[in-house]
Amino acid sequence: MPFVNQILQHRSLSIVGLEKNTGKTVCLNYILRRLNELGVPVGVTSIGVDGEQIDSVFATAKPEVTIYEGSRFITSEQHYIKRQAVSEIEHVDSRRTALGPLVTARVLIRGKVLLSGAATTASLRGQIERLQSIGCRLAIVDGALSRLSLASPTVTDCMVLATGAAVSANLKQLVAKTRFVHHLICLDEVAPALRDTLNPIAGGLWAIDDDGQPHDLGIASVFLIGNAGNDLLRFGHTLFASGAVSDRLLKALAPLANDITLVARDFTKLFLTPEAYNDFTHRGNRLLVLQRSRLVAVTLNPTSPQGFLLDSRNACDALSDALQTPVYDIMKITQ
Amino acid sequence: MKIKDLIKQDAGLQYAVDSLELMSAAGRRALLDTEFSTDAHWLEAEWQRLDRAIQTTLTFKFKKPYIDLRHCLMQLHDLRSTLASLASHTPLNEVELFEVKNLAHLNRIATGAISGLGISDILPLPATDDVFSLLDPDHTGIPNFYIYDSLDPRLTPLRRKLGGLQTSGGDPARIAALLAEQNEIQGQVCLRLSDQLSPWAPTLTAALDQLAYADLLLAKAQLAIDWHLSRPTLGNHIAFTGLVNPRLKHRNEAAHLRYQPVDITVTSGVTLITGANMAGKTVLLKSLGTAQTMVQCGFFAPADEAVTILFDGVTSSIGDDQDEMNGLSSYAAEIIKISDIVRRCRDQRLLVLIDEPARTTNPVEGKAIVQALIRLMQQSDSATLITTHYGQLGANCRRLRVRGFVEDMADIPLTPRNINLFIDYSLTEDLSGEVPHEALRIADILGCDSQLIDTARQYIEK
Repeated sequence: MPFVNQILQHRSLSIVGLEKNTGKTVCLNYILRRLNELGVPVGVTSIGVDGEQIDSVFATAKPEVTIYEGSRFITSEQHYIKRQAVSEIEHVDSRRTALGPLVTARVLIRGKVLLSGAATTASLRGQIERLQSIGCRLAIVDGALSRLSLASPTVTDCMVLATGAAVSANLKQLVAKTRFVHHLICLDEVAPALRDTLNPIAGGLWAIDDDGQPHDLGIASVFLIGNAGNDLLRFGHTLFASGAVSDRLLKALAPLANDITLVARDFTKLFLTPEAYNDFTHRGNRLLVLQRSRLVAVTLNPTSPQGFLLDSRNACDALSDALQTPVYDIMKITQ
Repeated sequence: MKIKDLIKQDAGLQYAVDSLELMSAAGRRALLDTEFSTDAHWLEAEWQRLDRAIQTTLTFKFKKPYIDLRHCLMQLHDLRSTLASLASHTPLNEVELFEVKNLAHLNRIATGAISGLGISDILPLPATDDVFSLLDPDHTGIPNFYIYDSLDPRLTPLRRKLGGLQTSGGDPARIAALLAEQNEIQGQVCLRLSDQLSPWAPTLTAALDQLAYADLLLAKAQLAIDWHLSRPTLGNHIAFTGLVNPRLKHRNEAAHLRYQPVDITVTSGVTLITGANMAGKTVLLKSLGTAQTMVQCGFFAPADEAVTILFDGVTSSIGDDQDEMNGLSSYAAEIIKISDIVRRCRDQRLLVLIDEPARTTNPVEGKAIVQALIRLMQQSDSATLITTHYGQLGANCRRLRVRGFVEDMADIPLTPRNINLFIDYSLTEDLSGEVPHEALRIADILGCDSQLIDTARQYIEK
């Protein structure tokens, strides 16, 4: 029963796909089935719309999410009405989404449901707390296309990363792309004392002096970095970007020194290409995070929506070697 | 006019509205739909209810029935559209039926809490226990809802089969058929329940409205406590003692600046208010407008004591940028507004607040406009306050003067930053007909160019 026991060490889990059709929903169904076998009550929700019967981008058939007896799920009114499970409504949120208010229900007879959830991570956090407060040992969040924010360690305790042929049918490219994201997910954390200092900072680019004190560099956005140049390093060579970290910031910093430590909040704030990242770090600079996401597993879907099929064993081996972590063919383990 | 429209014209009222700690969207709707009332009977009754709510809050704030009621109001959803569907015999779905059951559940808890607080007479709630029972066939006593097996005898065997097939991973076609059959039965049950509930729609709407009102009343009571508001009494003139402008008062307190409440009486006819620049004349007009509007919307007054009369409306001409943004010059915007006020006062009794009329045109015609305005407003039933810097208007009306600068009011050097410590904002009856000539002195205190001030003085001396 790969990686399910590791998940149970945490209270919330996100499933993030590198691309659409990387097998997130298959993975979610696998986890739900295994947890049901273990008798663990869970709560499932999502951010954005997911669990569509037909994939809206490629119009391919898409597996639905099966929720088991005793578990809870949160979905919009419109999707709740279409569920195939027999379930009892426990709560209806006062705020409405485009698909009606969000409904929290307990499953009485298992069945498939369509998941649609919160529009924002703040709202998602509230739902996770709600699920945990009504007895769900684990809250699981399924994410819509390209939504990484749910995997922020400020939202969920641990994550599963789904990759596959949809990312690239070329194995080398698939490995390179997955390895880069995996590398960012696994970036080292800053020391606890510095994390406590930087955590409350709400915005802007900051410098940390030798005594560990932060100084606002007066740059609210990386777009305003202009010709600040060496002035950015006037307090020290450790910088903290409380918001997004983009190529633009790394390109501005890279020429200034070769011992810069740039701290980001977490990997979901990184919007980087391998080129800009490598140029920054190969000079001796490094990128750290305040909080690292706990990656419990990487899964692979060897089939792409266009019909490409990777050799499962080769692909899993190549990815495992590159990531130094077990990679599971999600289609195989769910059989 | 409703509060939702009044707040667009009165920033002080907007501040009061924003400061209310409402628990529900339904409570907010009740607030925004509150009318500016001219009904003395309703207002007296509302102030009485508010008085009781304040006493209740002070006595029970940290006790169970009060906490239960607030918790209940926090969970209140605004179901008006669902209840309208119910009234018009539109079938409700499971989620809507849950909402109706939850409303009946909250109504039951709130009824108990209100009874525990001893205020059932001011917040009576209709009984909706029959609605709850109808939607709780298994007598669970909790608001959870689904189409229970007991609501249709066909459901138990069908769901047993369905559960068995789902658990064993049975034939998908058979499962789909059973699901379709279940949905058909559930739809029939929803239809039947909606029919049975339809006659209850007015009662449920009344319960929702009354719970929304409870939310509003408790929020108004808390505001009255926090802001030290006082219960108004109706008399034959306006007399506010210790009138404050809450927005300005709180801003000053946050900046550790002094704030001075003002006593003012206003009678029918025209009252002219004079005073130096920076003496708070405009703030006085705004404070009076906000206070009177709050009172006629059923709030307590932002004053130590408040005697008032009822008006058909409160209207003002206090210059802001809005009309200029609409392409009118400041004079054009003002004169159109004043003209409108004069017309309205022919058949309405208004509290009229006009700040320095005709100040942006030439003083000869400006003064004549003010004189004409005073004469016309004297002939109406309205109570009009006009601030002005024009002297010797020759009008036969009451005059009040803001005392203004008192150089020895504070024991520190006078600077532009602490100037408000040297202003006495209180009002005094003025029989002179003159206006203060303190513009140059204030300019001097503010550190304006000395050559400008000296040259102006030379012109005055000439």
